[in-house]
Amino acid sequence: MNKYFKKLAIPYFVWLYVLAIIPFVIMVILSFVNNEGLNFSKAIFTLDNFGYLTTSSTVIAFMNSLFYAVIATLTCIVIGYMVAYAIFRSHFKNKFLVMTILILPMWSNMLLRIVALKNIMEPHNIITDILSKLGIHVSLDIAGTPLAVIIGLISTYIPFMILSIYTALEKIDYSLEEAALDLGLTETKKFWKVIFPLSTKGIVSGSIMVFLPCMSGFAIPEILGQGNILLIGNVIDQHFRNMNYNLGSLLAVVILIIILGAIFLVSKFDKEGETLL
Amino acid sequence: MIKQYPGYEQYEVANIEDYGYKEHRLTKKIFKVFRAIVIIFAVFLMYIPIFTIFLQSINSSTITSEFGQITFKWYANIFDKGSLLTAIRNTVFISIWATLISTVLGTLFAIGISTLERKAKRHIMLLNNIPLLNADIVSGIGLMLIFSSLIHIFPYFFGWRTMLLAHIFFTLPYVVLSVLPKLRELDPNLFEASLDLGVKPYPSLYKVIIPAIKAGIFSGMILAFTMSFDDFVISYYTTGNGFDNLSIWIYSSMGRKSLSPSVYAFSTLVTILFFILLIITNLLRGRKQHHENH
Repeated sequence: MNKYFKKLAIPYFVWLYVLAIIPFVIMVILSFVNNEGLNFSKAIFTLDNFGYLTTSSTVIAFMNSLFYAVIATLTCIVIGYMVAYAIFRSHFKNKFLVMTILILPMWSNMLLRIVALKNIMEPHNIITDILSKLGIHVSLDIAGTPLAVIIGLISTYIPFMILSIYTALEKIDYSLEEAALDLGLTETKKFWKVIFPLSTKGIVSGSIMVFLPCMSGFAIPEILGQGNILLIGNVIDQHFRNMNYNLGSLLAVVILIIILGAIFLVSKFDKEGETLL
Repeated sequence: MIKQYPGYEQYEVANIEDYGYKEHRLTKKIFKVFRAIVIIFAVFLMYIPIFTIFLQSINSSTITSEFGQITFKWYANIFDKGSLLTAIRNTVFISIWATLISTVLGTLFAIGISTLERKAKRHIMLLNNIPLLNADIVSGIGLMLIFSSLIHIFPYFFGWRTMLLAHIFFTLPYVVLSVLPKLRELDPNLFEASLDLGVKPYPSLYKVIIPAIKAGIFSGMILAFTMSFDDFVISYYTTGNGFDNLSIWIYSSMGRKSLSPSVYAFSTLVTILFFILLIITNLLRGRKQHHENH
């Protein structure tokens, strides 16, 4: 089959270079110049943009991004592992179906779910209204707080973690577990010495799928943080909305470098580069 | 521990603890309870938004903080409200075309990639991971920059064309990644045999290879559709001329504080539809396996 279909891959090389590599080059150029929009005729080479990286608002936004993403990812690992492991160990006849029903909310519009979350985080909301009609008075006022943002991030991205850990657990050969028990390991030791190490691949790919969108997203902090919490995504979005392409591109390049680090990490773990599915 | 057995002397029955084994019964019990709480919490976290969406969709009051009566008028209104209907139509249009195009192209590209040597393959897989792993905001801005620099050649480019191209861009890697493993499992002799039997390479591609990898193509297609249907950030940066998909519509009407409850009704319908489709495909697959077993 080799000699016939080799040329089928060539258009994809071109496509990826044009749409994935060239934009990166443009962004790098934009972060070294000072110009209006995409008009390069009056562009002047400058390093002033880099001074912006050390201003307190940018540093705070970066620290916020890292903080929220790390907290959300760690929580997702713990909760996601427990859920995935419980399904993996359960006696359901059709575990795949249970799994898909569990992550069914993933298929309704993400923004609408965030809006719904925001609504019920207000002190007066539809659920407290129904409950108060039933005579139960509760109130929860977390809208606009860091906790609201973290809950939103976890609620949105945990399905990815569950799914990738579950996929990794499914691939573990059952005979390995039997061997571990035959060789005298207890259930707990078997888990830590056999199952957990074999599922780290799922944790790594799940963490990347959770960490990156948490770090760079702007819709969740904007809606749930109600403008109190700025992550780096919000700052980039503001710059591009104000047509300040230079600073926006510079921040995007920084994010991209972090992501390239993550891709490098993935390729260390998996030589074929097919971890993600 | 001493036990009395009828007809025997007193024996010291050795316990497993005597050999240094600790049962940790209490710890295990606490952990079990903790795990149950965590799982319930996780399900709660994932389901509370769509439960709220459902409540809003049957709420007669337009104020989001109070519940009037149960009503189904928002369901009837989905197709009345002009801008929402346009947004839904745009979303469906973009996601169906993006899915179809990226499924066909992605399959062909994956076949091409599978024939490459190790080094070239690694190279293209690394490139293929970029749209997957890249932050949506960076991808969106990058595509916007590329499309903006083409605007002198194609003046009315921004709108559905750019959004469709962007969607094809980020759905293709999913198709490629779903098809490649199936191609690796494929018996290379199958294709050689079809050539020996006098079939030309491309007809053979269609008749031999495609049927053998159709499961991978199908799962890639599903993934592509879900990614495209739900996308916000990349669409937000690559659209223009007032072409909104559902997410952009929600985002902008939220900014104007004019989110129509019909959108909750629509979302609930979509969730129910997905659920039904899921059950049907599962039943069909179960029946097929049943047939194969007999």
